[in-house]
Amino acid sequence: MAAFMSFHWGWLVGALLLGLAMGWISVVQHGEGLSKPLARAIAGLLVVIVGAAVARVVPGRPGYWLDLGLVMFAAYLVGCVVGAALRDRLVARQMAAGRIPPRPDPPEPAA
Amino acid sequence: MRGLFRWSRKWWPGLIPLAVLWGLAAWSNTVPLERSLAAAASTALKNDVLDKTRIDVAGRDVTFSADAFSEEGRRSALTSVEGVPGVRLVNDRTRLVPEAKPYVWTAVRDVVRVTLSGSTPLPAIKARLQEAAKAALGGVEVVDQTAFARGAPARFDAAVLLLIDLVARLKEGKVTLSDKAVTLSGMARELGGREAIWAALRNLPEGYTVAANDIAAPPYVFHANKDPVGATLALSGYVPDNKVHADLVAAAERKFFGEKVTDTLKTSIGAPKGFAEVVTRALGALSRLSTGVLTVSDREVTLSGDALFDGAANQIRQSLGKGLPEGWKAKAEISVKPAASQVDASVCQRLFSDVLGQGRIRFESGQATINADSAGLLDRLAEIALRCPTAAIEIVGHTDGDGDAAANQALSEARAKAVADYLIKAGLPADRFKTSGQGSSVPIADNDTEDGKAKNRRIDFLVR
Repeated sequence: MAAFMSFHWGWLVGALLLGLAMGWISVVQHGEGLSKPLARAIAGLLVVIVGAAVARVVPGRPGYWLDLGLVMFAAYLVGCVVGAALRDRLVARQMAAGRIPPRPDPPEPAA
Repeated sequence: MRGLFRWSRKWWPGLIPLAVLWGLAAWSNTVPLERSLAAAASTALKNDVLDKTRIDVAGRDVTFSADAFSEEGRRSALTSVEGVPGVRLVNDRTRLVPEAKPYVWTAVRDVVRVTLSGSTPLPAIKARLQEAAKAALGGVEVVDQTAFARGAPARFDAAVLLLIDLVARLKEGKVTLSDKAVTLSGMARELGGREAIWAALRNLPEGYTVAANDIAAPPYVFHANKDPVGATLALSGYVPDNKVHADLVAAAERKFFGEKVTDTLKTSIGAPKGFAEVVTRALGALSRLSTGVLTVSDREVTLSGDALFDGAANQIRQSLGKGLPEGWKAKAEISVKPAASQVDASVCQRLFSDVLGQGRIRFESGQATINADSAGLLDRLAEIALRCPTAAIEIVGHTDGDGDAAANQALSEARAKAVADYLIKAGLPADRFKTSGQGSSVPIADNDTEDGKAKNRRIDFLVR
């Protein structure tokens, strides 16, 4: 994996930066985003894809492309998490300073 | 961080540029990655001994095909490829080099090239043998068609190196090693090549045997040409060593009293057994001819030419094949020289004196037995005697001054009689000859020197 990462480091950094930007935005973005069932379905699909990659059932070039996609996706996710966390801390600090009013969490949609 | 799940539901729009990024990464990296992995795998296999190695990379998966020379080597090579950083899967298409039984190696030499075929155990040995063949064969083209196979006998390379040396000694032929048995056939390049090959085969590694050696060599030829016009005896061809060479030239000088011996003989091994003895005897027969050619080829003696008279021709024909060593054959193509014109007694006397002035009749030391070396001279004397058929001839024996006078007298008489007997046996009438002995009483030279004594030991022919 180390060799794989070092060979593709530029692309992974790109995915990480993309994730950072997306995470940064997501904290203050209005709107609901994906519905829970869809998010669950995507998560399930992701588990299946990761399982296929770990089990190495996809051969040759498609197998490589799958691994590359998953690793880039992982870098994107890390970027999202880090970006969101950083933005959240910034927003919290500004709220504490009273520069922006707190915004209540939107109510959970009825199940 | 409490809102992580909420935020994460808003991350999906970033997947669109991520997918684009992914596509670009896959498009630009696939081929370089495959090349990089193939190069790394080849480097990893540098120390593994393999044949027909092939590495195909698709993505991060390597399809590795190769022929290994042992199970251990096969596993080691597989581990080397599996250990290349970045490789995900290795499709193992390796196999062991096939085993040959019997393990055969062959070298065929024809006019233009040497072709190596059969099996060799390892690339290093194959390269070494090929190099050795090129070095041993000089500029001859070497075509190596050997294939790798397991199961070579111990010390295979040492045995084959020796056989390559033997191939270099062949003009054409085939050398085969089957397991540990060597088979050779063909023609040696040089005289004595067969013997040299036999000698070299003794150095085969232990356990190796010669199943068949049918190598032939060029014929071992000895040639002698008696030319009465130039008064020469030309010796050419081969003799086995310097001693035989010297002995044969000395024998020729004793037997051919009127001819100058020209010697272009060369020394070579490969002479058939009994060569020196047969050639010495055949030279004696040639010395009795007026003109003739003696050829000894391997174990075949051919004598052709003209005898001086009928009786001599018959004797030569009968004696040539007698008492030859086993395996020898003789062929006499003897005709008789046309009889010379008759002359009167005084001319005969002059001819006898001339011939006896050039050579003398030799006897065994202290005996009245004529030495075989004098046959040619006696035939010449007989031929002269035939030219004056009406003349009576007195044969007079003389000795040197050594020893008792009575004994010398008896010896001189006996020797004169032996000469007369020889001429009678040759077909001349007995009543033409009278013999007498003078002992040492009529010396013609000083008896104090060896040279003088030799001159005094003589037979005189007196025509009456």
